[in-house]
Amino acid sequence: MVARSNPISSSAQAHKAQEDLNREILVVNSVTVDYPGVRALDAVSLAFRTGEIHAIVGENGAGKSTMMKVLSGVIRPTSGTIMLKGIQRQFTRPSDAIRAGIAMVHQELHLVGTLNVAENVLLGREPTRFLGVAVDHQRQHAVAGALLRQLGSDFDLSTLACDLSIAQQQFVEIAKCLASDARVLIFDEPTAVLGEVEANRLFVVMRRLRDEGRCVIFISHHLDEVISIADRITVLRDGKVVQAFSRNTSGIVQCEDGSIADEGRLAHAMVGHELSSIYPEKLYATCTSSAIELANFGATNKSHGISFSVAAGEILGIAGLVGSGRTETAEAIVGIRPCEGVLRVEGREIRFSNPRAAMRSGVAYVSEDRKNRGLHVTLSSICNMMLPSLDKVTRLGGIMIDSQSEQRISKNWIDAFQIRCARPMQAISSLSGGNQQKFALARWLEATPKVLIIDEPTRGVDVGARGEIYRIIAQLAREGLACIVISSELPEVIGIAHRVIVMREGRIAGEIPSERLALKDCQERIVRIASGLPEESVASK
Amino acid sequence: MNARIPSILRASQRALEMWGVIVAFVILFAVSTFNQGFDFLNPENFRALLNSNAPVGILAVGMTLVIISAGIDLSVGSMVVLAAAIGMTTMNSLVENGTSELNAVLLGGAVTILAGTVAGTFNGVLVVFGRIAPFIATLGGLAAFRSMSLAIADAGEIRSQSATMFSALGRGGVPIPGLLNSAGKPLTLSYSTVIFFVVAIIAQWFLSRSRFGRQLVAVGANETAARYAGISVSWVRLRVYSIMGLLAGIAALVQSSRMNSVSTSQLGLGSELDAIAAVVIGGTTLRGGFGRVWGTVVGVLILGMITNILTISGVSPYWQGAVKGAVIVLAVLVQRTSRE
Repeated sequence: MVARSNPISSSAQAHKAQEDLNREILVVNSVTVDYPGVRALDAVSLAFRTGEIHAIVGENGAGKSTMMKVLSGVIRPTSGTIMLKGIQRQFTRPSDAIRAGIAMVHQELHLVGTLNVAENVLLGREPTRFLGVAVDHQRQHAVAGALLRQLGSDFDLSTLACDLSIAQQQFVEIAKCLASDARVLIFDEPTAVLGEVEANRLFVVMRRLRDEGRCVIFISHHLDEVISIADRITVLRDGKVVQAFSRNTSGIVQCEDGSIADEGRLAHAMVGHELSSIYPEKLYATCTSSAIELANFGATNKSHGISFSVAAGEILGIAGLVGSGRTETAEAIVGIRPCEGVLRVEGREIRFSNPRAAMRSGVAYVSEDRKNRGLHVTLSSICNMMLPSLDKVTRLGGIMIDSQSEQRISKNWIDAFQIRCARPMQAISSLSGGNQQKFALARWLEATPKVLIIDEPTRGVDVGARGEIYRIIAQLAREGLACIVISSELPEVIGIAHRVIVMREGRIAGEIPSERLALKDCQERIVRIASGLPEESVASK
Repeated sequence: MNARIPSILRASQRALEMWGVIVAFVILFAVSTFNQGFDFLNPENFRALLNSNAPVGILAVGMTLVIISAGIDLSVGSMVVLAAAIGMTTMNSLVENGTSELNAVLLGGAVTILAGTVAGTFNGVLVVFGRIAPFIATLGGLAAFRSMSLAIADAGEIRSQSATMFSALGRGGVPIPGLLNSAGKPLTLSYSTVIFFVVAIIAQWFLSRSRFGRQLVAVGANETAARYAGISVSWVRLRVYSIMGLLAGIAALVQSSRMNSVSTSQLGLGSELDAIAAVVIGGTTLRGGFGRVWGTVVGVLILGMITNILTISGVSPYWQGAVKGAVIVLAVLVQRTSRE
């Protein structure tokens, strides 16, 4: 209701000549979705326009994903209607929505790894010859190439999809949507898997799509991105639209009452109360003996010459672009990948052949890929919780699991981390990203590590839970754990780490010592190092 | 997609996924009783039903564990005949060399079980260290193990040289108090049935309560995540194929002692399909990560009852396969999970 009753007559795009712009293309009328026991959407009314980037923000569980599922035909609303170009539509399956011109770029990418880029772009709509029998490969290449160029990306069309980086895969996904001539494109947290530079390239593409008169719907947890790119912002909370923001003609994002909106206002609208700074106070370690030390270390073929040392109680941040070898290095430390060079844990030179061996020596790794590697999504929370430390709850010489002590341990962590889960026996996939991440952390802490490597600690985690996870990490360091935090989110690395190293193309490209982390230009400095520019910023010259 | 289905329907669908095998069993039992009356309810019929299905049952218990680990073992029938042939040959040569019958039977039995375990471990080695897909690795075993046993006996039958003791193992049993057979003698629960149930109970316990069971489920649900969680995936998978071999050895012992001979061309033929069918009917998912041994036991009984019912009502054995096939497909349809 809120968004509809305030049509923005003078949006930033109004000056554009095309008549097609700023027309209501997709209108949602008091849509309600009931899941068993939960009302996921409560009489939500929204209008999406052509030629706008419309961001939808909200905490996990606010109803964003449900909204997108309704729009893309994955679920049918319990009540309410959807109008597309003025005609009432009812989508019963995703293909209905795609045919009607609504395409979704999913957070999980769905390319066929064994097909090449051109084949993926035109999958299901291959140009043919000989009465539709044979695929016309020349035209396939030509059409797919044209679509990708339209996105400003230019890569070899005969590359297999499995050899593309995640960012490149995302561009192929977008090209797929363009191939179906989608007028409405939904981006579900597209930047979650991208680094700063890749994300910026994506934004250029999104703006271009908007300027062509398409409607771009953008879901993100990153409020800074939302503020910088969206023409309109709708905030959902508990399944309702709570506030709408829009960009005025001079490019400033405003609230309905005309006051200027910033990230704080957005966050406030999302959680319903003010968030104090979400980063806890840093307490620098007094201990100087190194808990883990790398000398000329590297993941074979992925990173080289990595040398650093982390003391007990210290938090080391590792920044860098996606693909700069951060995750690979971490995986090599715990023995998932082959490695080279020297690794010392508590002064002893050692090399792990698998995560089990690493765990025995007190080194734990929390994967960035919660869904496929970090957790068993089909299994219960308790089961997930105890997997790395089953030894602790076995009786009869390590054979039998004592279910009582297992439940007690899980309960302790659920209380300690304030994990919201109805029943510990339910599948962990039913929990929100934040709660899943807390379990992923807790399971390794139960194994009492001395060194904890956390890869992307808050990916897919909402603002509220983020703060809690940061507090947990800070507390762990205070208790003497050596932490390595790998993150693509610069404010996060800067906000939580005592010291940051920046990786680029498999090597350490620079280090930001603690005293420089507080400086204003720190973020820019990291970006410059990560992308290979001279370290001194333009501003300081 | 699920929001469309009313919640009551969805709840009942869940329940059917979970308890469908029990429902099927009860229905089949009622139909049999209604159709055949005393012929079916006769304790002797039950005894025969359990007795004849015990070997496949023992295999199916192992198959449940293998399938939970997201694997498969197509070689179980051939493992049975190879283990039985090796065991029987050993026993016979011991008897011929003048070893006492008791020692020969004990040693022969031990060799049978050991041979099965070795064959199973070999499968495991191929899968884990050879990195061959379980389907292919055990397809090789299906052909090779049978061929080896055919070579041992020139495709013929190996007759037991044990006069009484070995067949006593196969034919004997534990008397059930209070029940008499048609000849007025106490009815016995055959050793094979007892072994089947004991094996099933132990396997179910291991699955739901032991560390190994938990790791097995984790590996089956997501191998990568299991490795990241510090589980030794290779060790878990190797063990599950060894256990499968061990159970194939036990099934071989049960079969060969009952016949008191080993027919190298017939023994265990097609058992792998019956075992997999029982596992699937019992509600264990073929993609791994979820399963239960008790379901498999009921699945074995369902398959046995179908054969039983068709035999008693005089349906041609040629048609029995079609009915079984239909039941297997039906079971998968009903239990087709809405999750994921």
